[in-house]
Amino acid sequence: MMLARVVRVAVVLALLGLTITLALAFRRDPHDIRTGTIGKPAPEFSLEKLDGSGKVALSDLAGKVVVVNFFASWCAPCAQENPALVRVYERYRTSDVVMVGINYQESRENSLAYARRMGIGWTTVADDDGRVALSYGVFGPPETYFIGPDGVIAGRHIGPIDEATLVNAIETLRPAATR
Amino acid sequence: MNARIVMVVAFLVLAVAIAIAARPHAATADERIDQIATELRCPVCQGLSVKDSTSETARQMRDLVAQRVREGKTDAEIESEFRAAYGDWILLSPPAASWSGLVWLAPLAALAAGLVLVSRRLRRDVGPSSEPAATEIAALRERVAREEAAEG
Repeated sequence: MMLARVVRVAVVLALLGLTITLALAFRRDPHDIRTGTIGKPAPEFSLEKLDGSGKVALSDLAGKVVVVNFFASWCAPCAQENPALVRVYERYRTSDVVMVGINYQESRENSLAYARRMGIGWTTVADDDGRVALSYGVFGPPETYFIGPDGVIAGRHIGPIDEATLVNAIETLRPAATR
Repeated sequence: MNARIVMVVAFLVLAVAIAIAARPHAATADERIDQIATELRCPVCQGLSVKDSTSETARQMRDLVAQRVREGKTDAEIESEFRAAYGDWILLSPPAASWSGLVWLAPLAALAAGLVLVSRRLRRDVGPSSEPAATEIAALRERVAREEAAEG
């Protein structure tokens, strides 16, 4: 009798837990999926610029707020978010905020042509073998990572991003950056 | 007699061949790459492993696994590199020692709940004992005696 009561309570608790878990899971914003990289040091990279003018290493940008955007010319949402990225780049181009575009599964020629066509003024680099995308846990472009001046990934946005989200994330990190 | 010797020799040869074929051996690099790729989830697919997917992402992941195997990394080290980037989600079978590993308890919990339900149903079907209590028997006997006395 006692056992039956315990089992009944356990079943009710399990169903309650399942309901709460599902409710919380469905409330999550799919653009802000937290995987393994949030709150951890950003994986180091040293990649060649698409225009061939040298390399960019993440370690060279220590002390700055770094916005890393994975993009591709074949990705329609990338073109959709690009105007917001351009506006934010213009707003912060003389500040302690650095934007880096990393091409995703695409030839350098196509990426460079896209960057020029879309008015991308920030540094764009080539991730030819996809290793950097894998180390950041990228699912597919566009994805944007916000790296604080301490080199830790503070935020991640999956899918097209808007200007307000970009500015908000950057301003959250700027107070700690080197002015 | 000769036929018996031939049969015994043939049996021994067969047994030795089976033993040699079944002996434990260290997995080759290709076998390890296949095994790890089977356990990793393709991030851009629907429920496919990295081994089974033909996507570019899966190909890049297989290349990375192959490189790490060549570098002498263990299977656990290679998987933990992917887990660091994608979380436990990247493994098709969630590790037992994690929150997502609780899913392995679900079949056991379902089995236990089923057993409890079945045992309760069986107990209910049998129902209360049909044997009359001693007091009921005594009351019935007394009633029969009374009715017999009344009938004279």
